[in-house]
Amino acid sequence: MAANDGVPEALQVLLSDELLSPSELFKERSRSHKIPVKGQKEFLPDGSDQQRARLQKSLDEHWTLVAEERVERLGNLVSAEWIPKEKLVKLLSPAGKFWQTMGFSDRGKQCLLPEEALYLMECGSVQVFYKDLPLSIQEGYECLLSPETMTLHQYQVFGHLKRLGYVVNRFDPSQVPSLYERQLNLPLPRDMQSKQLKRKRSQSPGSRLCEKQSATTMEQTTVEGECKGEVQIREPDLGHVAPEQGTTQQTSQDKSMECVANSDGASARNWWTDMSGQAQAAAAQAAAPRWDFSCIVFPDLGSHRANSATLAAPDPSLLPGALEVGECKVAHWLRKLNLKKERLSRRDWERQRERDRYKRDINDDREVRRCRNWMEYLDLMEKRRSQQHKERPAHLWEQKVTPLTHPGQCISHRELLEQISIIPSCDLLEGASRLPWSDKWRICFNVYQPDTVAEFKKSHPGKPYTRLCVCSFDGPVPDLCVIKQLSILSGDVPVTFAVVDHGDISFYCFKEFKLPTDIY
Amino acid sequence: MTTEVPEKSGEESLSSGGGVGSAGTRFDLDKETELRFEVEAGERVQLELLSGLAEVFGSELNRNKKYTFGPGSKIAVFTWQGCSLSLMGKTEVAYVSKETPMLLYLNAHAALEQMRRQAERDNERGPRVMVVGPTDVGKTTVCRLLLNYAVRLGRRPTLVELDVGQSSVSVPGTMSALCIERPADVEEGFSVQAPLVFHFGSTTPGTNIKLYNKLTSCLAEVFSQRCEVNRRASVGGCIINTCGWVKGSGYQALVHCASAFQVDVVLVLDQERLYNELKRDLPHFVRVVLLPKSGGVVERSKDCRRETRDEKIREYFYGFRGASFYPHAFDVRFSDVRIYKIGAPSIPDSCLPLGMSQDDTQLKLVPVSPGRDLTHHVLSVSCAEDEGDGPRSRGILESPVCGFIVVTAVDTQAQVMTVLSPAPRPLPRHTLLIMDIRFIDLK
Repeated sequence: MAANDGVPEALQVLLSDELLSPSELFKERSRSHKIPVKGQKEFLPDGSDQQRARLQKSLDEHWTLVAEERVERLGNLVSAEWIPKEKLVKLLSPAGKFWQTMGFSDRGKQCLLPEEALYLMECGSVQVFYKDLPLSIQEGYECLLSPETMTLHQYQVFGHLKRLGYVVNRFDPSQVPSLYERQLNLPLPRDMQSKQLKRKRSQSPGSRLCEKQSATTMEQTTVEGECKGEVQIREPDLGHVAPEQGTTQQTSQDKSMECVANSDGASARNWWTDMSGQAQAAAAQAAAPRWDFSCIVFPDLGSHRANSATLAAPDPSLLPGALEVGECKVAHWLRKLNLKKERLSRRDWERQRERDRYKRDINDDREVRRCRNWMEYLDLMEKRRSQQHKERPAHLWEQKVTPLTHPGQCISHRELLEQISIIPSCDLLEGASRLPWSDKWRICFNVYQPDTVAEFKKSHPGKPYTRLCVCSFDGPVPDLCVIKQLSILSGDVPVTFAVVDHGDISFYCFKEFKLPTDIY
Repeated sequence: MTTEVPEKSGEESLSSGGGVGSAGTRFDLDKETELRFEVEAGERVQLELLSGLAEVFGSELNRNKKYTFGPGSKIAVFTWQGCSLSLMGKTEVAYVSKETPMLLYLNAHAALEQMRRQAERDNERGPRVMVVGPTDVGKTTVCRLLLNYAVRLGRRPTLVELDVGQSSVSVPGTMSALCIERPADVEEGFSVQAPLVFHFGSTTPGTNIKLYNKLTSCLAEVFSQRCEVNRRASVGGCIINTCGWVKGSGYQALVHCASAFQVDVVLVLDQERLYNELKRDLPHFVRVVLLPKSGGVVERSKDCRRETRDEKIREYFYGFRGASFYPHAFDVRFSDVRIYKIGAPSIPDSCLPLGMSQDDTQLKLVPVSPGRDLTHHVLSVSCAEDEGDGPRSRGILESPVCGFIVVTAVDTQAQVMTVLSPAPRPLPRHTLLIMDIRFIDLK
């Protein structure tokens, strides 16, 4: 109703046709601005009248909403012109408040990107003219959205987030600071920023969305190939360990013998043969001694605890200088023994108790008791070890594929997981820089949170809250390769996938996963 | 059997000398008592036996001979029969104690001697004894005592020194075996001739427990081989001195040592928990014996331990009390030697290849490029043969050491380092192993 000077003559006539009378205006103002609630989705037609009625009602609501006439103050409308060649909208009158988060200047002219113009049209802030005629919303959708600028899906996501208050702008890969820059916390250069705004046009997201599928399948196979290669390299390592150890045992023997001889040569004295060496000792070794400790009396305070006896005087011939000593009172020493309690920290003490709980006296074992010397004992242990191997169920252990761990080998979850880490936990960014690049998936938008709008500067947008990749519900699910590529492209900003299902938008993101570990 | 009683003849013949000790304090000891004294820092104390018989840690004293003990020495003079002593110089403490576990130790010796007799008779191997206990309970002293008594009876026992922190045979950071042929010198300890020394590289077994256990097995292997060819050594058996670390991996190392050496007797000093655990974890035919510690044992501080370590290295180069040896200093070109460190730094498990465990890195031989940080480090000269074809890590790891050098200066420009060496150039071998231990030649 206010005079608008900027609008050409012909237009004014046209507009004046749509001017409303005061009564009509009042009617408009008192109209409910509520958007009808969508409610639960109906999945299957059950043929009932109730359902049909419900659907009909919601459809009607929808149609009324769409058909509704939009009434705006003429003075508040910013007029703009759609320039199809440049694929952008140039403002004809000064921009409104939206200029804070949208639009850019090109050679002194204020411009809007198509999706921004369309969104503002829908909001009733901008009237876009084409060939001197204002575009309706429907025409706006038709003209402004195209595979070269922005797809409908992308616009739906854009509009959805804008309505929720987020600041959304197009993503430009060249704007992502490199890892080095990020580490140094370098500010983004200004000129780069402005360049970005100009270059944006050529960077229409979704332009390559219709690429051939074959490229991606190629990539996948190469990635798989790489993985296989790695596994093959690793496997021999496992095999190597055992035989090597075997040989070292032997060489160790040989070496030590040699070396001993060497050292003795230097001091002109032989470690081995300074005495009349007798070879038969070797034979004697086999029939190892069996000490009779009931005759050979050690002054053992531990076992004297119960019957505090006195030790008989030792045979003087056993003592140096044929000493003659009296008997020894053990009882006296029992009292002196270890009066001071061992100081153990609480943790040590608990650990020890935990350990002791599962430990049994090895001498409770009858077979161990039957051993008469170390030789037999070590043989027994060796036999048991090999028996353990033998006793394992044949159907599990004697085939090509064996269990990943031996029974009793891993005590804690951590050990087990480390042992079987066939799929080791890996960083999402690991190796991503080496992946072949694909254009099929791309990041479309930077998203900034609504609470930052007040301080938001187009020239210095700062670090986005997230970056969006728009995909369709009908399209393929991104594979690991894509996720890796996108996350390295995005740098330290997380990537969210916006999945559009006929106007319903869901957001998904992939989180890194680490194998769980026990904490002691 | 007791035909050979070494080092006893001198004692009797010297008895006629006049008592000079008028300047010193006189102590009259009853039988089975001991005189304990500590020498003050920076002082020296002279000990003289005026009459009777006395021994220091199992080595008998000669009558009317003056024994000098340096600063910080902690000495106990024990007498079985009673004696009078004279002490000259400043002592921190000096007192006579009636409470000594010597009689128990003597009984332990008697039992071991019985075993040696039986071994001799039955043509078997003699007792292998492991002495264990926490720190500062007198393990080394008990070992010295038992060895002295054995050697005084004409035995040829072997001392196996596994205490890498306070080695009584070689420099710290080594594991060694020494054949004992005569009682320890009262002042100097056992005479170190042709010991078998392995490089460990650090003063605590915890830094590389895998290597510690491996070297223990190596020593056991060599000792067993020696027993096979040398009857007297076999009958004499061995006495194993261990570290004071008796918890966790330290305890596991003790059990491993027992099985590697196939010990017959374990003497546990002063700790009942250790005694019970060993009784539980060692087979029944191993005799585990609990013995009290002597009341004379003094707790050594960290500084004190470091000082003894330093002293031990100085003794290696300059001889006892820095008087008898004259080490050589010369330049060694970097290109002439290969320096290694045992044990790669541990890396996070996630970086290890599949199926590889952390342990494998502990026995790895890592080449060290010589640089300024090498200065003052003690290097072991490995006996491993110098061969052109790359490092044969297994061989070097299990080779004994033929000597030690200390890097006193490094000139990176000229690519040479100056070393302190007990022998003149050239180095006998060119494979050097670096120790964590440093020695600064100040005196």
